[in-house]
Amino acid sequence: MSSICLYFQVHQPYRLKQYSFFNIGSEHEYFDEELNISILNKVADKCYIPANKLMLELIKKHNKQFRIAYSISGVALEQFEKYRPDVLESFAQLARTGCVEFLSETYYHSLSFLYSKDEFVRQVEKHREKIVEYFNQVPKVFRNTECIYSNELGDFVQKMGFKGILAEGTETLLHGRSANYIYTSPTNNRIKILLRNYPLSDDIAFRFSNQNWSEYPLTATKFAGWLSSYKNISDCINLFMDYETFGEHQWDGSGIFNFLAHLPTEVLSQKGLSFHTPSEICEHFETSGIYDAHNYTSWADTERDLSAWLHNSMQEETLTKIYTMRHDILALKNKALLEQWSQLQISDHFYYMCTKYWSDGAVHKYFSPYNSPYDAYIYYINVLADLELTINTEKLQKML
Amino acid sequence: MKKLKILMIGWEFPPIINGGLGVACLGISRALSSMVDLSMILPKTDLNFTLKNVNIIGLNNVDLASLNTQINDNPYQNFSTSIHQSDIPLSPYPSASPQGIGNILEQKKLKTISPPSSTNPFQVDDLYGDDILLRIQQFAAYTAEVAASMKFDIIHCHDWMTFPAAMLVQEQSKKPLVVHIHSLEYDRSGPDSKSWVFEIEKEAMSKANIVVPVSNYTGSIAREYYEIDSSKIFPVHNGADVVEVYKERKEFPEKLILFLGRVTGQKGPQYFLDIASKVLQHAPNVRFVMAGTGDQLRELIENGAYKNIGTKFHFTGFLTKEKVHKLLSMTDVYCMPSVSEPFGLSALEAAQFGIPCVISKQSGVSEVLFGALKADFWDIDKMASHIITLLQNNSLKDAIVKDAFNDLKNCTWEKAAEKIMNLYKKIDLQYHKN
Repeated sequence: MSSICLYFQVHQPYRLKQYSFFNIGSEHEYFDEELNISILNKVADKCYIPANKLMLELIKKHNKQFRIAYSISGVALEQFEKYRPDVLESFAQLARTGCVEFLSETYYHSLSFLYSKDEFVRQVEKHREKIVEYFNQVPKVFRNTECIYSNELGDFVQKMGFKGILAEGTETLLHGRSANYIYTSPTNNRIKILLRNYPLSDDIAFRFSNQNWSEYPLTATKFAGWLSSYKNISDCINLFMDYETFGEHQWDGSGIFNFLAHLPTEVLSQKGLSFHTPSEICEHFETSGIYDAHNYTSWADTERDLSAWLHNSMQEETLTKIYTMRHDILALKNKALLEQWSQLQISDHFYYMCTKYWSDGAVHKYFSPYNSPYDAYIYYINVLADLELTINTEKLQKML
Repeated sequence: MKKLKILMIGWEFPPIINGGLGVACLGISRALSSMVDLSMILPKTDLNFTLKNVNIIGLNNVDLASLNTQINDNPYQNFSTSIHQSDIPLSPYPSASPQGIGNILEQKKLKTISPPSSTNPFQVDDLYGDDILLRIQQFAAYTAEVAASMKFDIIHCHDWMTFPAAMLVQEQSKKPLVVHIHSLEYDRSGPDSKSWVFEIEKEAMSKANIVVPVSNYTGSIAREYYEIDSSKIFPVHNGADVVEVYKERKEFPEKLILFLGRVTGQKGPQYFLDIASKVLQHAPNVRFVMAGTGDQLRELIENGAYKNIGTKFHFTGFLTKEKVHKLLSMTDVYCMPSVSEPFGLSALEAAQFGIPCVISKQSGVSEVLFGALKADFWDIDKMASHIITLLQNNSLKDAIVKDAFNDLKNCTWEKAAEKIMNLYKKIDLQYHKN
């Protein structure tokens, strides 16, 4: 018996304007609203709306045996509410089926755990409120930004009340064991760790439309066959990916929706395979061993570490500076300022500054709205200069 | 007395290219136009752009097919057989490549240059395209052909792109040659560069009757590195066009220190970053701006971040003239730490905006801005201390600005043209004596 766990990440950042030196001190709107709306609309029409419609049909068709999970960042939810309430409603509809679980994450899809535990807790709580408000469920499983994980994080979120956490299943930490079981942490045996099966996840997320791939074209029948081959040597097979895989990264013409439409039938027709959400898996299965992650791992790039956001001096400087401002920002008790500062923590800002080349460079470039990582840095650091000025002015006024 | 007939040979010229060389050639020719009978051959001109009393000939507007030019009959024929074309985009004022252009050419022996086709090679967008060597050769041959039917007393050329043409015309006409030096390979690529550009420069200066560097500093390089006879070197400082100055209120309280120029080794941008870092340790309420672009930009951005001064050290990339003026209107101190700067026109522009200048001793402009504070380009501590002194001491700042306004009175193209005129007279006299 094996459970297939499908989890999709939904996130849309607030992208910065091309904020130049000449804007410092006079322009306090940092984000490119027009660009953000246009990208949101594009992705909503190509992915969120058609994919949600299909998911709803599949859940109904399979009499609730098709079960999935989402993690939607707070900033994505916020943008749906503001610009695309139809998308938000379609997620709410999915929530009402009882077959869809919504996971917890940081509201700002941030790297806050690395810099400030207090800030991390603030964001996780803010996100939880939104999930309860929109989907009427309290998240029980945590998913950190881009599957960033370490022993320390596992322990920390268990103490916050979560029973499970998602992570990347990296060979270097599995030591020959399979990712298709539940593990726990060496420092806290009450947390259950669900590891991503990255070869199978990436078959869909990355390789699906690659015509040079030996397995091209990938059909639902073939994929279900692969899953079935694990049924006696696994508890759960965790397929974690960006939701934008459907219709955006893999465009409609590639046949990705057709694949998705047939997958549940093919999986459920295999004896011994079923779909379960992360919480259900945490309840059904006992842990099979210790997964010891002293250092941070993530699902990003071939390194599967923090280097997508923390590799060069530009990323280090900006990340350090934004979190150093926390004390001042909170002391000012200015809601608008707090919001701006929080939005500047969105991990995408730092991802755009990545200068790693070769295969990952292309991926970074695909996701970046800017010409180069250097431009991304310049806009960001100029914005920080302006924010610093605002903080200083407000501090002075408070003193007077 | 009959006006002297001058044949000027240039490369960059407004409005096609507005770099420093073009601006200087325009300033000089405009100021000379009333004193001499001036004709000017350029690779490319805009027909709508005219200059009073100057006969401007752009080869892009000449029917070259009718000239019957034999490219291979020129003394630089050897260029077409022994030097090979590179597919690397070459620019005559590129970054300070440690190898120099010549080495690149030697490494990349790709294909020999073929004679120019019947289409006009100067009707191109970029004069500094990847076939710069071929273009210079074509320019030499066609210029010689055009010049053959012209009457002139003196040839006056500007920088290495024009030197093969000028030497060919000199050979053909036996008229005296004035070689004007706005920038040398030494400045662009450092003292170790002995590339083919260096060779062209050396040969032209050797064959010239008079060499006119834009500063004593550049004259000393011609003398020391190119071994040119100092008795024929006569420096003439550039002038500065009067710009409309204004002051704009900054949107932030910090004082602003500006670096303006190409972000290449020659301009010393890395020194500016080090100076900024030093100043910020002592005077945190200061902002630095590096305006311009170049091959060192990315490295500098990462270094700036590494030094953790990103919110106080800003990069603007390339700026339009309007934006440059806006920036100058906000600037409190101008800093030019050039490693080797033949002149440095931008410092004069800054001075017009009433900005005190801290400039490197290795610059021509330091010879005319007596009031500016100076240091060796590598002396970070001294540069930084000059800046801090200016930020903290208003009376010193005012005195320096006042001095600079006086200095500016002597920095006109008219004064430069007068000096050049005297040099023309001198060689014309010598020519007729012989």
